[in-house]
Amino acid sequence: MKNAPLTAALRALLIVVLVTFAGFPIYWMASTALNVNAQLYNTGQVPWLQFGNLPELFRELVELPLLRWLFNTGLIAGGTTALSLTMGSILGYALSRFRFHGRGMIGFLMFMTQVIPEALLVVPLYAMFITMGLLNSLWGLVLANVGFSLPVAAFILKSAMDAIPYEIEESATIDNCPRVGILTFIILPLIAPSLAAAAVISFFAGWNEFLFAATFLMDRELWPTSVGLASFIGQYETPLSAVMGAALVFSLPAVAFFLLVQRKIVAGLTSGAVKG
Amino acid sequence: MPKIDFNGISKTFGSNTVIRRFNASVEDGEFLVLLGPSGCGKSTLLRMIAGLADISGGDLLFDSQRANDWSPKERGVAFVFQSYALYPHMTVRSNIAFPLVMAAFRKWHHIPLVNMVQRWRVMQQPEVKAAVERIAEQLELTALLDRRPGSLSGGQRQRVALARSLVRDPSLYLLDEPLSNLDAKLRTQMRSEITTLHQKVKKTFVYVTHDQVEAMTMATRIVVMNSGIIQQIGTPDEIYDTPANTFVARFVGAPPMNLIPVQIVGDELSAEGIGWTHCGGTPERANSAIFGIRPEKMTISATGDGRMPGTVAVIERLGAETILGCRLGDGEYGGISTENLVFVRMPGHPPLGLGAACTLDYDDADAVWFDKPTGQRVTPLPATATPEAASAL
Repeated sequence: MKNAPLTAALRALLIVVLVTFAGFPIYWMASTALNVNAQLYNTGQVPWLQFGNLPELFRELVELPLLRWLFNTGLIAGGTTALSLTMGSILGYALSRFRFHGRGMIGFLMFMTQVIPEALLVVPLYAMFITMGLLNSLWGLVLANVGFSLPVAAFILKSAMDAIPYEIEESATIDNCPRVGILTFIILPLIAPSLAAAAVISFFAGWNEFLFAATFLMDRELWPTSVGLASFIGQYETPLSAVMGAALVFSLPAVAFFLLVQRKIVAGLTSGAVKG
Repeated sequence: MPKIDFNGISKTFGSNTVIRRFNASVEDGEFLVLLGPSGCGKSTLLRMIAGLADISGGDLLFDSQRANDWSPKERGVAFVFQSYALYPHMTVRSNIAFPLVMAAFRKWHHIPLVNMVQRWRVMQQPEVKAAVERIAEQLELTALLDRRPGSLSGGQRQRVALARSLVRDPSLYLLDEPLSNLDAKLRTQMRSEITTLHQKVKKTFVYVTHDQVEAMTMATRIVVMNSGIIQQIGTPDEIYDTPANTFVARFVGAPPMNLIPVQIVGDELSAEGIGWTHCGGTPERANSAIFGIRPEKMTISATGDGRMPGTVAVIERLGAETILGCRLGDGEYGGISTENLVFVRMPGHPPLGLGAACTLDYDDADAVWFDKPTGQRVTPLPATATPEAASAL
């Protein structure tokens, strides 16, 4: 193993390059936010972080209904996550444990939802939402997003449940545990990593929601942050530093959520990959 | 404690019949072992008793009441699984207490958070705590109560599984090959622990195994099964000494009973090119049959004072005893094949080497006879009453 130090150095170099590559846009976002608009449009962006401009940035941000938009985004993302995980657990359990007619067809239809582009569904959904009175409603958006994230969540959870020996469930049956209890007390705690993975996928599907929100929501009060930020981009003027500042604030809860569940995720995404 | 009756129980999976018209009964306080090779339907039968598998035909009676459609809860049984089936995310304490927690479960406890609080509250109840600790002490698990199953050895997990089934104080214990995942030494230890436990709790145990040593050492009664059909029901001694057919004779005992197809002419038997006189009686009106004798009932000597000449083909020295496999006849000992060998179990270390000429003998009263076409055991006529013997008089 005489090449070990060289391998380690190459590995470290590769990590630095990849982290820089992935992290630079975030740095650039922070750097842009800490430039004043005059600089950006006249003398060009100063590439380093100018913390002296923080008060100016803060003044610009408080003028925006940022908290309201963040709340809306949180509601869409949280609602999508909660509903996807609840329904996904039940659906995943049914697909994993029960044999019934049409089981294969359900799996096929669930995959089909991932094949169809969102944009293709905007018009039919719009028509449906008018009929159902869900237009201009955050709950309507939650439902629309659940439609896309539920199949993914259900499949992740089904795969995890497949790996749990059936004997554990039988044992719980013998111990007088009701069927719903078997799911909530036994199965779900055992697939916590996969639940975390499914939660992240559903959460970010809701958090990054733009297309449906921009189409279905008319009130500025109901906009999520993504639509709010896009509204700044005007024909003649775009306050880039405020947009980037708001984008930074928009990223923080998502980062916090990811950090909260990230320890569980890797195990969840790789579960079933090797014989345990 | 219920008496269990099986009235023509059968189980089919599609067109495949796993158990055919099973008739037996399990008495109160009995340690019944279902013994048979893999795939003979013994585990399926146990799962049908527990209510984990549907019964395709016949009646399962608990104290004369038809229990075919009863839920596992109504049957009040405990089940120990081959893989232990412990809950990996719970501590040993929570695992053992789980049946008690579920006994206190109400429908409204399904509400998230409420169930967490309720389960914690039940766990804190003095009687639950006391029950868990009593069982843990009984099975020497006290020091492990706060550990998770993942950090326990196979034997410890097995004891946790037993503790979880004991804590509810059910009337019937069902054990599905609970020792098959343990190493040989631990298996011997757990075998005696389970036997002691049965004597202590005085409940009915139904135990499934394919290991005839477990069956012989633990059972008060054994049901030997093959292909879903009962081959014999009896005490371990009955099963060993008077096997009902050649399947039981071969399956129980290690090495199994010697079964030698013989030609019979009066008192003269012949097989493998040798002949000898047997004065213990032979099956009536049969000119050929299967002659059976247990290895420990045979004697072997190098000096030639025995009725059956042979050659030593296999020697297994086990320390306290030696098992010798002999090929009948005077020829070569026949290489490594163990087919058609006659096994002899002897104490100590007999001074015989591979390929050595020897003679085998036995006490005529120890022979067991089986019908050649059916394999069923037949009772021999007394030696003096055989037609040839009668005509000679």
